[in-house]
Amino acid sequence: MSRFPAGCLLAILCAIAPLSFATQKSVQAQSPAQTPAQPQQRSPSQVQPPAGYSAAALYNQANAYARAGKPGLAVLNYERARLLDPGDPDIDANLRHLRKTSRLPPDSGGTFARVAASVNPQILAWVGLAGFLAAGVALLARRRYGVHRRKLAAAAVVGVLLAAAAAANAVALWPTVHTAIVIVHSAPVRVSPTSTGDPLFTLTEAHSVRIRAQHDDFMLIQTAEGRSGWVSATDVAAVVPRR
Amino acid sequence: MRLPSHPLRWLVSACAVTLLAAAAAATPSVDAAIEPQQITLGESAQLTISTSGSGTLSVPLPVVPGLEFRVVGQSRQVQIINGTSFESTSTLVRVTPEEAGIFTIPSMSPKSPPLVLRVTPSNGSGSSAPNPGGSQGQTPLLPGAGGANGIRLTADGSAFVRLGIPKHEIYVGESIPVEIQVGLRDGFVASINGLPKLNSSDFTLNNLSNQPERSAKIIDGKQYTLLTWRTLLAAVKPGTFSVDFETPLTVKIRRRPQGDSMLDDLLGDPFMQNFFGMTVPKNITVTSPATAFTVLALPTQGRPADFGGAVGNFKIGTDISSATAAAGDPLTLRMHVSGAGNFDRVDSSMLHTGGEWKTYDPKATFKATDPVGYRGEKTFEQPLIATKSGPHTVPPLAFSFFNPDTRRYETVHSAPLNVTVTPSAAEYAANQAPPPANSAAAPAGEAPDGLRPDHPVTGSRASTLLPPYFQPRYLAIPSVFSLLFAAGWMALRRRERNAGDSLRARERARSQRIRSLLETMSAASGAGNAALFLTSARSALQHDLSARWQIAPEQVTLEEIDARLGADADHGDIRQIFALADEANYSGHAPNATDFDRWTQVVGRRTSSEQPS
Repeated sequence: MSRFPAGCLLAILCAIAPLSFATQKSVQAQSPAQTPAQPQQRSPSQVQPPAGYSAAALYNQANAYARAGKPGLAVLNYERARLLDPGDPDIDANLRHLRKTSRLPPDSGGTFARVAASVNPQILAWVGLAGFLAAGVALLARRRYGVHRRKLAAAAVVGVLLAAAAAANAVALWPTVHTAIVIVHSAPVRVSPTSTGDPLFTLTEAHSVRIRAQHDDFMLIQTAEGRSGWVSATDVAAVVPRR
Repeated sequence: MRLPSHPLRWLVSACAVTLLAAAAAATPSVDAAIEPQQITLGESAQLTISTSGSGTLSVPLPVVPGLEFRVVGQSRQVQIINGTSFESTSTLVRVTPEEAGIFTIPSMSPKSPPLVLRVTPSNGSGSSAPNPGGSQGQTPLLPGAGGANGIRLTADGSAFVRLGIPKHEIYVGESIPVEIQVGLRDGFVASINGLPKLNSSDFTLNNLSNQPERSAKIIDGKQYTLLTWRTLLAAVKPGTFSVDFETPLTVKIRRRPQGDSMLDDLLGDPFMQNFFGMTVPKNITVTSPATAFTVLALPTQGRPADFGGAVGNFKIGTDISSATAAAGDPLTLRMHVSGAGNFDRVDSSMLHTGGEWKTYDPKATFKATDPVGYRGEKTFEQPLIATKSGPHTVPPLAFSFFNPDTRRYETVHSAPLNVTVTPSAAEYAANQAPPPANSAAAPAGEAPDGLRPDHPVTGSRASTLLPPYFQPRYLAIPSVFSLLFAAGWMALRRRERNAGDSLRARERARSQRIRSLLETMSAASGAGNAALFLTSARSALQHDLSARWQIAPEQVTLEEIDARLGADADHGDIRQIFALADEANYSGHAPNATDFDRWTQVVGRRTSSEQPS
């Protein structure tokens, strides 16, 4: 019976590992019709790109859009690349350069958001989950058996810290998941989800807005200054494409 | 001048003036005008002859060699003033030239000057063939029996079909805009049963819209509704052909021949006939006058190698999506072909792969600027990629077509386009030299455009950009294990609680047993049964000590007591009770009453919590 905690943890990790692995491998089996949205303009040599998202590919596309004078699509792809590889300094450098040269407002993320979002969520998510499981198993074992109480308490503390780090990362990424980028030269924002009527105000290309809701072909957005309105879904693109 | 002073002289003078005025008015006068004064061979002009005066006036038509005069309409107005009738007539004469030149029409009266009509050769044709249809928009619709003016009314004047064309000599493949007019006399035509149909296999016609333009026109004093279709006509082979159109109609015809009754004479107008129900519907087909075409073959001499069949008059322009790009990045080269002609035959392969450009097949879009697609702009978009970095030039593009106006092939060229191609990421990384120590140029790893270079695309790809935290499949795992942990925690607590319950049950049984033994001791003491008393006392002590020592009551022996209660104050008494109990059981020695009380106090002190109340 003393082997129960270690055996239980090993079984749990063995159960999780295929799920995690399946998340990565499922991309290979996807048909082209299920592939994520591709940029509106792409190289003819990339008529049939590989399925799935690659941080490097998104970064390269962002560079191409930046050179072609399309800051909206460039910022969009930089943000997407940063979601997959937040530790890449080139992405941040090019994004800063693009915002500066295009006279766009700087990134408004706070220190917590920058720090918490600087870790790769694809890895931290599973590390945090493993920490959560370790903490749970350690606490149960400590209560069930009277042996190794200090070691089990230490394992529980470490597990809780890992889970807390993952939770902080998730909180930091939450705004990005609901962010959209203006990809047209100017996007009129209206009071209702219709194409008629004078716009409340106009968003310029590459501005970041927060998506509040969606209705048909319109999105209810909110700017960093707190202004809200409906904008055509064709004028903006969500950083995380909605299915 | 001396004025009359006598009243009689006044009267005579007034009569004389009146008679002179009447005589002047009664003198016939003739005025003539021709419009327009300059026409193209094949067109017609309209000569208007106006007369005024008393009595019936007759003006002979002029005779001019090379001009044909035909009366197409006449109106007359009669006024009677002071018993004298004054008649005004207006005669419309169609003047059709048979050859080009300047014609002088003699004056109709001595006071009016002669009229001059200038006839120029038809544009590009040089032919003296008559133009039955006339020029579009210039020849007015005139009623008549023949098709010389493009109109041939049905026998009852209910409808006509007219074909308006810009010219009669065309080239194979050349598209010309045509106008098909169907005139329907109001109140006379019940319905139009189909679109105008081309009666010729030598020509092709673009699709006609189901919604023609609708207008109203008065012809010979009668109201007609004009339905106008505009489309493109093209010849498929050379030769001389005639073209006519027909349209199925349903008209209302008289039930009885005209003249059968006086009522028919009175109600000759179709409105009146319809009103009185004197008509019946009848399906007829109205055919336009035949229009002659001379279709010429495209010349083979001087035909450019890239000629694709475009006939018309075109010009081209080019532009490119960006003047700067990185090597390997796609650019879009656009060629705009604008003008008039058969745009369906306008095609171009644009730029070919070679040198510093890799090209792909172009795609074309056409935007018409007129309803029939004769004029507009066709835009070709071709993706191309610069294979090398450096300053490049997109070479001029050429487009060849046959111009029917100049009757020769023409090739137009666009201007070259300059494009600056920056190195690609790989090329830049390969050619990048280490920056000098004190260089003030761009930071290391930064391209000239300020962007850091591209990354090689390797490694696995993610199926979604959504972080795992927000994916349902991921969220299910901690949720399930949270439930498992909670269930395990509750199971542990339940198990611990159950364990405590059994301990308490044993304690309750022990206490009850001790109380029972104490009662037995009391009863034995009263009865003087020393053996029972001492045995019960020993059992009570065994149960009490076994609970303290977590051992079975049978295991509480003298040796165990000596080992565990060596320093206890009651050790001696407890040991003695155990010894006396053995002695009473085996030797029959019974203690006196004083001993009962003493041993009862010892046992009661040890088991004070279980004492009966």
